[in-house]
Amino acid sequence: MRSVRRRRPAAGLLSASLTVLSAALLTGCFASGGADGGSGGSDGLPSGSSSGGRLRVALAFPPTENFSPYGADATLLSRLGVTEGLTRLDGNGAATPALAESWTRENDRTWLFTLREARFQDGTEVTPAAVAASLTHATRAKPLPTALSGVSLTATPSGDHRVRVTTEAADPALPQRLAGPSLAVLAPKAFKADGANGKQGAAGGGAKAGEGARPDLVATATGPFALAKVNGSASATLNRFDDYWGGRAHASGIDAKFIADGTARANALRSGDVDIAEAIPVSQAASLTEGTAREVPTARNTSLVLNTRSGVFADPAIRAAARAAIDTPALATGVYEGHADPGQGLYGPALTWAEGKRVRPADRARPASAQDVRAALKGRAITLATYDNRPELPETAQVLQQRLEKAGFTVKLTVREYGRLESDALAGKFDAVVAARNSMLDTGDPVSILSSDFTCDGSYNLALLCDKAVDRAVTTADAVADQGERQDAAMAAEARILGTDAVVPLVHQRIIVGVAPSVRGVDLDPYERSLVTAGTRR
Amino acid sequence: MTGVPTARPASAALTALWRLTLAGLLVCLVGLLPWLSRTDPALTVLKARSAERDPTPEALAAVRDQLGLDAGPFRLLGDWLGALAQGDAGHSWISGSAVLPAVGQALGVSLLLMAGAMVVALSTAAAVCARPLWLGARRRLGSPRAGGTAAMLAALPEFLTASVLATVVGVQLGWLPALGWYGPRWMVLPSLALGLPAGALLGRLLADALPGVLAQPWASAAAARGLSGRRVARQALRHCVPGLLPNLGLFVVGLTGGAVAVEQIFDIPGLGRLTLEAATAQDLPVLQAGTLALVLLAAVAGGLARAAARLLLGPALRDGAVQSPPRPAPPGRRTAPLVYGALLVAVVAFGLARDPLGLDTAARLAAPSWEHPFGTDALGRDVLARVAHGALGTLAVALAVSAAALVAGVLLGLVPRVSGAVVDTVNAVPPVLAGLLVAGIAGSGPATPALAVAAVAWAPLAAHAGALLERERAATHITATRALGASEAYVLRRELLPAVVPPVLRHALLRLPGVALALAALGFLGLGAQPPSPEWGLLLAENLPYAERAPWSVLAPAAVLALLGALAVTAAGGVRLPRYARGRGQGPGWRARTDVPTPRRRRPEPRRHATEE
Repeated sequence: MRSVRRRRPAAGLLSASLTVLSAALLTGCFASGGADGGSGGSDGLPSGSSSGGRLRVALAFPPTENFSPYGADATLLSRLGVTEGLTRLDGNGAATPALAESWTRENDRTWLFTLREARFQDGTEVTPAAVAASLTHATRAKPLPTALSGVSLTATPSGDHRVRVTTEAADPALPQRLAGPSLAVLAPKAFKADGANGKQGAAGGGAKAGEGARPDLVATATGPFALAKVNGSASATLNRFDDYWGGRAHASGIDAKFIADGTARANALRSGDVDIAEAIPVSQAASLTEGTAREVPTARNTSLVLNTRSGVFADPAIRAAARAAIDTPALATGVYEGHADPGQGLYGPALTWAEGKRVRPADRARPASAQDVRAALKGRAITLATYDNRPELPETAQVLQQRLEKAGFTVKLTVREYGRLESDALAGKFDAVVAARNSMLDTGDPVSILSSDFTCDGSYNLALLCDKAVDRAVTTADAVADQGERQDAAMAAEARILGTDAVVPLVHQRIIVGVAPSVRGVDLDPYERSLVTAGTRR
Repeated sequence: MTGVPTARPASAALTALWRLTLAGLLVCLVGLLPWLSRTDPALTVLKARSAERDPTPEALAAVRDQLGLDAGPFRLLGDWLGALAQGDAGHSWISGSAVLPAVGQALGVSLLLMAGAMVVALSTAAAVCARPLWLGARRRLGSPRAGGTAAMLAALPEFLTASVLATVVGVQLGWLPALGWYGPRWMVLPSLALGLPAGALLGRLLADALPGVLAQPWASAAAARGLSGRRVARQALRHCVPGLLPNLGLFVVGLTGGAVAVEQIFDIPGLGRLTLEAATAQDLPVLQAGTLALVLLAAVAGGLARAAARLLLGPALRDGAVQSPPRPAPPGRRTAPLVYGALLVAVVAFGLARDPLGLDTAARLAAPSWEHPFGTDALGRDVLARVAHGALGTLAVALAVSAAALVAGVLLGLVPRVSGAVVDTVNAVPPVLAGLLVAGIAGSGPATPALAVAAVAWAPLAAHAGALLERERAATHITATRALGASEAYVLRRELLPAVVPPVLRHALLRLPGVALALAALGFLGLGAQPPSPEWGLLLAENLPYAERAPWSVLAPAAVLALLGALAVTAAGGVRLPRYARGRGQGPGWRARTDVPTPRRRRPEPRRHATEE
């Protein structure tokens, strides 16, 4: 056959082109950064063992906005010990000194903060002017940081060591508010809009430079670790800041990796690729070696929220029937495998102050019988919606489905990705939603969640609750300044809300952090704002 | 691109224009996505930036203002395209960083991963067809093997392979890194996870075509002339490979953009994850750029594949002198499909009597026992019951989708000039994006997931059909038939379709398990089966986090899926068109067809091959 001899050129061309292609590909298509840490770990090489070793940390959420402190990345920065605010929260939710040594309330609307001697990571001094400018930038960020929603504040330098913060309306929770990670104090250098990050405000071609420009976080904060290099949303390198006011950190730096998949994070810890892996999913906790999974209660609750505006759950008796049908301890052990506490209220065991102040919900409706429920449903099914970002939620929903069906309901589940669920949930398109929610939000103030989630004008009112008594109780609580009394008032409002049965707290979640046995001093913070500190070492 | 071997410049320009139109259409569709699906991009962007932030009207207005969303989709799209012409693909709506470097980097990573997977896939394919090639070249191939093993391998979901490899090889044995993407050592496990099923599928298709080629007269002539078995084998490959090259091209593109699960499990910063995140967050600049990159890659890969096919077939194609392989006679009665079928039926029959929904969290993740033969899942439900109850729904939809894809694939494969570009474009669309687009256009009704999967499932079949047709049209016996005065319709009906449909049908069946999985993969968009339905794809997905602690909960659904793949392929071995029924028993396996068919009635003249060397 004549084609026999012609075979070679064709095959030759093919293989040649393949070789060229693969050679071109091999030149630099691997992820940069973290290579040292990665190979060092997997080869088991010790890298600076006893003191001053670098910490390798796997974080669950990659930076979404190039480490902008005004969004979710703010928490990331504070968890890695990069940023600090004027204050920080202690275990009781009270504000304690951070960059501010002390503070006084001058009048209803004005607070005076006294700064401590500290330096920014670029070597400049933390001055009242710099602090005021930094706070002012936060108030101008668009969209506004959550910690500042509904608040209008101005910060002005006062003398050599003081900053005066004035709010438009009286804000008794201001010191807690200033502990919010998005109100971190940054050096003036961070705001030079002509820097490398200057262009990024112009996202989408809509040309909104200048005002919306994001601060540059590389070595401009005050924490024990300074951001040195960022590899997109894959990894980040941090170095120790030697002049930290709280003393030099033990670890010489941090190699942070962002690993979105929970199983992959657990695998990274198990294979020795990282020293600390945050947010280990419940399903993986059992596969970690004894002692490496550390857990702490968080302010995050999983709740069943019932649609009080339309559908069968508009009837309080039907809501009560749903509440009565649910067995929360079974969820905590059965679905969360004991890595959660049974639901007690809107404030869980992470908030230690709540325990002694709990008020029994008064005048709850009497649960409807299974027969009444069936009659009310008229053969239709209720829709129970949830999202699948964490596997526990669909599982919880399926257990609830079974319990509710025993109480006479017919239940249809809808499970979607969170972004595709929320707007429908807020619009009341479902009868019930199983949702996880941080009860302290970004403000550290127990009243914020009550007003955003359960009042007529609330911005995240999944229950579509509009109850005059609840609104009144929340307004009352919001006006109280003294921390203890504010908590009392919040608990009274909580009882009101639980009394409506619009929400059924299912479990209080615990956060599981995987920590290699050699690592000491990891800060397990119930508010999830801190993880690596100056005292963390391996 | 066409069945005409030498494309004239005018037709080449037309094809290029058609390609460009399709790419433009796709990018426009992507740009209109939020408006089609009526999901507010300001909300999804806000949530992607910060999941905990409450969507207050002020926050949404700020995002809308920042992105310039009020200008409307057409203005946005126009601006983006205008900037693209100047080499600027805009900035991400989420992070604000420039799109082009991010997409370029992700594309590089994905291409490298794909190259690794291709090496594995080609080795696997070689292993699968080594036996028929070896025996066939030495004229010792009896009736063809049914190939159940390869089909089982092809049915393995890659996310399962990936997580097993990561846990066992990466973590427990510690032989290779379990995650990351820092060097060649990091490539091994993900390449294996992606390449094994792809290679099994390719190898199966090749093994399917080989016996026919080896039964051609040239092969016996070559053997009689004393050519070595190796040279015969080489020549046989040269005849078979062109028919598969388009599919190889599709694999290249599909693995580049659609390796999401593997990228997630091994934490690889590839294009699949990038486009998935962009699609869920409606980060349009990134999504548009990523899609465009994939379409471009598809055009290049498709073009290369076709060029390579032409080079391999050479002038025979132009001269209409290709020897068409004779159609295989049905393999003799085999017990394999019966065994697979019986096993599947037995599992379903035993499980149907059990309760698939009854929860008992106290008995979660229980190991297989008399009470629960397949163990229980994370909520204490009986896995056997769930597998059995899910069978009917899974199979019915998957079969319907496959059938629709087969019909569409063959029909569109008939007009390769039009469909070639469509195949490349459709195949380049990441599955999730396809789901979103279909949901946007058709609404999220109950049929949407099936529609979305069918919308892309036809592409590889059309590519296969097109490639086979190209070769068949240039075959000597077609030229002869035409010379004898047969009409085009006759040639199509009696010659082309009968030659093309059976292999494409077997191909479609080989992909059946994949279709079943693809249907479940759309679940998170709120499409398709929802918990607690025991649909198979859903079973696999919901039990995957527990794969290490309770292997049975994923092994059972994976095993039935593999069984289904093996059953489909072995049973398809018997598929034939009615007129060949007569040919049964006339030869030891393969009938050569060198005779010129007469238009009225074809007289079968089976030719026995010399089986001795």
